[in-house]
Amino acid sequence: MFNNAAIIGVGQSQYVRRPEPWQTTHTFIRDAVIAALRDAEIDASDIQGMAVTSFSLAPDTAVDLAWRLGLSLHWLLQDTNGGSSAMNMLGHALRGVETDAASPILVVAGDATGLGGYAKIAANYNIATREHLTPLGHGGPNGVYSLVTTRQMNKYGITKSDYGHMAIAQRAWAAKNPFAVYRAPLTMEEYLAAPMVADPLTRYDCVPVVAGAQAIIIAYPDRCPRDRAPVRVRAIRNSFNYDNQEGDGLETGISTFADDLWQAAGTRPEDIDVASIYDDYPAVVLAQLNDLGMIPDHDLAAFARREIGERRRPINTWGGMMSAGQPGGPAGGLNGISEAVLQLQHRAGERQVKNARRAVVTGYGMTLYRYGGTAAAAVLDRIE
Amino acid sequence: MSAGVGIWRCNSCGAAYFPERLLCARCHSDDFVPDRVTEGVVEEITVVRHVLGHTDWGPRRLANVRTVNGPRITVGLRDESGPGTVIELFEEGRAPFGAAKK
Repeated sequence: MFNNAAIIGVGQSQYVRRPEPWQTTHTFIRDAVIAALRDAEIDASDIQGMAVTSFSLAPDTAVDLAWRLGLSLHWLLQDTNGGSSAMNMLGHALRGVETDAASPILVVAGDATGLGGYAKIAANYNIATREHLTPLGHGGPNGVYSLVTTRQMNKYGITKSDYGHMAIAQRAWAAKNPFAVYRAPLTMEEYLAAPMVADPLTRYDCVPVVAGAQAIIIAYPDRCPRDRAPVRVRAIRNSFNYDNQEGDGLETGISTFADDLWQAAGTRPEDIDVASIYDDYPAVVLAQLNDLGMIPDHDLAAFARREIGERRRPINTWGGMMSAGQPGGPAGGLNGISEAVLQLQHRAGERQVKNARRAVVTGYGMTLYRYGGTAAAAVLDRIE
Repeated sequence: MSAGVGIWRCNSCGAAYFPERLLCARCHSDDFVPDRVTEGVVEEITVVRHVLGHTDWGPRRLANVRTVNGPRITVGLRDESGPGTVIELFEEGRAPFGAAKK
């Protein structure tokens, strides 16, 4: 439990599918930083620490970004853990504040790779991918997670329409998010008729790559603006290379720490009001929820139909990356954290979940060879 | 093209790896010997039909394959083999491919 560190503000840039020539990773990050500082009601000169993740910051690094933002710091981190980078940065930043190393700490993530740039990143993701997958024409993560999805369908008896409930529900949430790139309602007919990308993944199963950035501010709780509750992290856990790629990818690294997470947080899955589950693919969402112990009897198909399809569980209430967009890769993880903060502070506008008090947030990423190698989860609540 | 796919086997505990590792994940030995797997069974397949950033992409068939006495690997399929098919494995460069055993 972090008692002397809290999330006090969030901000994001515009999200766009096709950035203008003058828009770069750096300008999106700048816009998100400005928004987060304004939201937290603090001056840039007050920032003592910064954490950043991006696939497209190079050749710049974190200190270059600090320089270009005019931030003189005592604490600096650059994270490389893909879809769980944001969660990893959150944990480090909380510990940084809690131990008085720095406060406030700015945590920012952004990308503007463009579609061609994203394709190059996907083809050269790591040595294993470059040497053993790209020559096959695997097409990046879609090729990898199409195989994972088929395995999940076979093991749990999941149908294509079961996944469709998730895409449709998240699109309904996205309609209430002015930053989401896709906001028009999605029907099951449209979902099932969508073009195949990598069997069985169709268009609406694959996150749209966007350009954009997110930022949050971690600080002593008393720095939180008076009109809102600071958001506390009751527990956070991470996993890296949990099974040496020797499993089937249907369990994530969350399975290695879920019991410990809930115990440390002093709460249970059924007490969660809102969930932000890293959604690069629907199958990965169900796998994480299952690992968290949030799917009764491990019946993934029934959960998708009833809990998600009938909107009984608020999951990915900003629309998820599948509708709101995924900035490049590592930046996506901050979406879920920011949304949980807004929900717990009761500032989520039209998409506010009534009386939201506790949230769970996850990250997942870094496809090593056959599936992701990093995962993280945190339980958040509002300090009353 | 060369027959079989090169894997790495721990000389201490016998665990098999693909891609190459620096230490054995089971016993942490650094003593590996090269080995080859020549056959496998197709478990799941996909057809990659569209790829971001490519306008002239032709469909590619991929499979998750359980190799005989080796690890599970991802291969490019050079025929219409489906789940359950026993395939022969071969390499092009450092990438594994397969086609139904004749």
